[in-house]
This record gives sequence, structure tokens and C-alpha cells, in this order.
Amino acid sequence: MRPPARVHRGAPGARLLPAALVVAALTRAACVPAATLVISIQSPDGHALAGAVVTARPLDAPGKRPAPVHAVMDQVDRAFAPDLLVIPVGSTVEFPNSDSVSHQIYSFSPTKRFKLPLYRGKPYPPVPFDQAGVVTLGCNIHDDMLAYLVVTDAPWFGRTDKSGAWVADVPRGRYRVSIWHPRMRETEADLERELTVGDADRAELTVHLGKSLLPAPITDRPHSWDY
Amino acid sequence: MPKLPHRQALPPTLCRSAALITLLALCVTGRAADWELSLDTRLVSSDAGRSFMDGGLGTTRFGHRDSGIQLGRARFALTTSLGDLWSAHFDASAWDDKDRSPVGVTEAYLQFRPYPRAGYRFRLKAGAFYPPISLENRAAGWESPYSLSYSAINTWLGVEVRTIGLEAQLDWLGTRTGHDFDLGLTGGAFAWNEGAGVVLADNGFMLHDRQTPVFGRVGPAGAGALPFQQFDGRAGVYAGVEGRYLDRVVLRVLRYDNRADPTKIDSVSGAIAWNTRFNSAGLRIESGAGWTAILQWLDGETLIAPPGMQLEWPFRAQFALLSKRFGRHTLSARYDRFEVETNVPDGDGWQIGHAFTAAWLFDADAHWRLALEWLRVRSYSYYRTEFAAPALATETQLQLAVRYAFGSGLH
Repeated sequence: MRPPARVHRGAPGARLLPAALVVAALTRAACVPAATLVISIQSPDGHALAGAVVTARPLDAPGKRPAPVHAVMDQVDRAFAPDLLVIPVGSTVEFPNSDSVSHQIYSFSPTKRFKLPLYRGKPYPPVPFDQAGVVTLGCNIHDDMLAYLVVTDAPWFGRTDKSGAWVADVPRGRYRVSIWHPRMRETEADLERELTVGDADRAELTVHLGKSLLPAPITDRPHSWDY
Repeated sequence: MPKLPHRQALPPTLCRSAALITLLALCVTGRAADWELSLDTRLVSSDAGRSFMDGGLGTTRFGHRDSGIQLGRARFALTTSLGDLWSAHFDASAWDDKDRSPVGVTEAYLQFRPYPRAGYRFRLKAGAFYPPISLENRAAGWESPYSLSYSAINTWLGVEVRTIGLEAQLDWLGTRTGHDFDLGLTGGAFAWNEGAGVVLADNGFMLHDRQTPVFGRVGPAGAGALPFQQFDGRAGVYAGVEGRYLDRVVLRVLRYDNRADPTKIDSVSGAIAWNTRFNSAGLRIESGAGWTAILQWLDGETLIAPPGMQLEWPFRAQFALLSKRFGRHTLSARYDRFEVETNVPDGDGWQIGHAFTAAWLFDADAHWRLALEWLRVRSYSYYRTEFAAPALATETQLQLAVRYAFGSGLH
């Protein structure tokens, strides 16, 4: 996520107006002033949807590629922790094993195919993710373990908070906003929106999902049971 | 009709060898293994007829003479990986019922588990293990997390059915490729199965948790049945399909045929081969709020054909189970129906009945579990009249169980 940028405004006071106009014009020529973009997601029953992945790509000019990060996805109590990560293309992810049991994590997603046997106490080098897309992760020993990595090339991305909103300061212009959640039933095209961040300081878009989410995985089932 | 010559003693050499080989394999590899030890003790009150372990026709594990403190099960299990793609599992138990069965191995197998590729997962099992039929016996040691006594169907599987052979499974992992369901195919080939069916024809269906050890005996020494024998040179087979919706719904269908030659009689022991085949189906639905519903259905027949006759015992059973988890408490209720028919002229082996089970399980922590179960079985069995007892019996068994478990994975 980018650090929040200051919103550029015309300086107040009539005496400073000509100077302010010059500064504003210069600023506009150097870079487009930013505005706050707010994307809210609501389920069909009107509830806020937390944890959904939101990406925003500028349509007018190619945005700057986000800097790669080094992320960690641990194995705790026979589950991936966290069970969803959003990372920029070129990032690396480390998969430690905090459990006393071994894991064998794998992905056969076209975005990144890999397998990694995780024995307790044995560290493995981080895995690079060089292609954008969704990577579904599983464990070959514990069939109910499931996690996702969303690898993105979008300059702005993040996840919705508890109020179902994702907020970012972006330069004014036209954007394509995409939404993803592992349990959404809509097609990819249904979850894309185009919007213009115009002269106002704040651009808001609320996406109402047409279909309810798939049920969440059962988490209180003992791990020793077959599932 | 006199008891058929199918019951005799088998030296448990094979069983011991298998156990020894597995243990040696585990030691040699030196890999860290996951192990578990548990001890389950019971306080029993029962008015049931003499237990099958004591040579009786009671439908529950404990008869009226067994009321008091009993050993439910002492269990030791070991699972270890052998390299990246192989693993070994070993499950041994001891009981203290009237049959005086020593320590027995209920399951011991090797599993080949390559990583899934392109949405498909292949698995191979070799050794002794349960075919994928029960949707109830999903906890460690093939126990039910819903009650102490298993349903009539799964009790019978625990007594007489085990794959001693190979099983291959191919799954299409839809839930890993953007779909909301998975599909699986299973096929198995097995031997040491000619005795399967004899307990069903003799005792009929029962409801208990005594799993017969591999190559073990059902009932008292000298008179017990031996389900796991091989003398007709024919392998049994099964094939099944499984569908899953997310992690919520499982549907299983399986066809099983031990392909035993019912005319074959073991020249040494005099045992006869029982040809047992059945269809089974099961559905399990779970909700995020802790509800579980299980339905299972079984329909098949077992037959023998000694010179000059063919004796058949068609059988069928069903059960419905409803369970709810409240934190560390699990409340369950189950209704079972079962029936064994026969073409034997005097009706020997004919049985019909139903059962109600209610159970409360409390998992105090990872180590301690407390369970209370009430079981009532009402059944009509023609065999009882041969022991000067009424054919119709209502048997009630109440059990309070305390189990302590510890192991590498229990903290």
C-alpha cells in the first residue's frame, strides 16, 4: 500500500492568488494532484464485506509498478497464517513452519507452480512470485489446509477493512477497479468497474454483490478428523 | 442348524510379522514420527444379553454380566513420513473383553502421496486399512467423534471388513481450481477376506466399538470367528465414487465384493469361504454452526455353498445421525435400522431390529475426554430361541467413559 499523499489545494487568501495559481499550474504540470479513492463492498444482504482484495489500475497512463516486498506466510495449528496475502509482482514469500508436525505445501496454479516440504525447524529459502495472478495453496498432508496469494501488478491495491471499505490516495484520472475474494461467486468481469477520480477531493464507489458468498470453511473442526 | 465349520484358530504370525515390519521400517528411517497413546476406561450398566465377545447373541458390546468398570480401549498409533512422498501408519489396540484378545493391530499401511498436479491428486495405500465407507468413524483410531458405540453398519465394518491389499484413489480438486466441489474415484483389491460375513449370518447386526484386529478373532478363543482368511486364491475388489461440496457435504457410493468362492472349504481348518458383496452409500452434511447430519445405507448379501446347498443371508441397514457441537460439548442422536434375512429352512440367522443412541461428549482439553452414552436396541433374532431365550429382546446399555490421550501432536 502506498503511503497517503497530501491532497493539493489552492492556497487560501486573495493576495496570494496569482502566486498560488502559478504554483498550482506548475504542480499540475509536474504531477497530477491526488484525491482519495474509497471502494466499498456490500454483500447482497447489505452487510459490509471485509477482507476482499481491491486493485486499482490507471487507464490513462501506466502507473508506477509497486515495489516488491518480502512477505511471510506461516503454518500455525495446521493452518496457513495468514490465509490470504496480496503482494506485488516480484515479491518473495517465506513459508516457515511453527507447527510441531510437518507440512508439504504446494500450488498447481498456472501463476506459480511449486512444492515445498516443510519439516519442523528446517528453514527454506523464500519463494519468488514473478507473475500476476491468484495462487491457490494447499498441504499434501493436511487436505483441509487452504490459502491464497494474490500477486498483482496494479499500482494500488489492498483489502477492505471491517467496514467493507478500502481507501487510497491516487492521482486524478480514470481507473479500472477489480475486486476479488476467494468465496465470491461472480465472474471476474462482473467484479470490474471503471471510474473517474475527477475534480472532487474524494471519489467513492460502492460495489453491491449480486450473489452471496460461498460458506466460509469450518474452523472449529478438530484437525485429527478426516474432513 | 448346527454351527458351520468356519470357526477355528489361526496362529497370529502374519499379524505379528506385519507389526514388526512396520515398526522396523519406522525405526530404520529415523524420521520424526507423530505418535499417540490413549487409555479409555468405562463405567458400564447393561441389561443386554451375553456379549458376542463371550459367545452370546447380545447386540451391544457389554452384556448384563459386564456391568461395572471396563477397559474401553488402550491404543497406540504411529504415523511417520518415509521420505517426501511415502508415509507409514500403524495403529495397535488392546481391550479386556471376555474374548481375552491380546494386543491387536487394527490398521497398518504404507501410503504413497505424490504432490497434486494440474488439479488432480493420486494416492496409493498398501497394507491393512478400512475401505472408504464410513462417514461416522472419522476420528483417530477409526473412532466416532459422535458416540462411543458405532452405528450398526459401521460396527459390522469394524468387525469383519478390512482391506488387506491395495487401494488407489484419484481426486479432481475442483476447490483448488476455482470451483466449489471435488470429485474422487477409489478402487481397491484385497485378499484375506473369506471369513467376512460369518458374524453377520450368526450374530446379525450389533452396535459397539470393538474393531477386530487384522487377522484377529471375533468372540471367545476356540469358538470365535475369523474374518481375515485366505484359501480360495481369489482377490476381492471394491470401487467407489465420492463427491464433496466445499468442506460441507460429502457423498460416497461404493460397491464391494470379496469374490470369495462359496464352494471352497479349507482342507486344513475346515473353514468355509463366505462370498460377501454389498452396495453402500453415505451422505454427510456439516454447517458452520456446529451441526452435522449423517445418513448411511448398506445393502448386500453373504452366502456359502457347501456341497449340495446354497445358503444366503441378504442384509440391509441404515442410520441417521444428528449432532451439534457447543464449544467443547458434542450432543448426538442416532437412529439405526437393520435386517438380515435368510433362505436357511429353519430361519437361522434371521434378524430384524432398530436402535436409538444418545450421547454427550465433553472434550475438556486436548488430553481428557468424558463421554456418556445411552443405547437401546430392540431386535428379533431367531437364533436366540436355540438358547432358550425369547427371540424378541430389548437391550439397554449405559456407558460413562473417561479417556486420556497424549502424544506428539496433543498439547
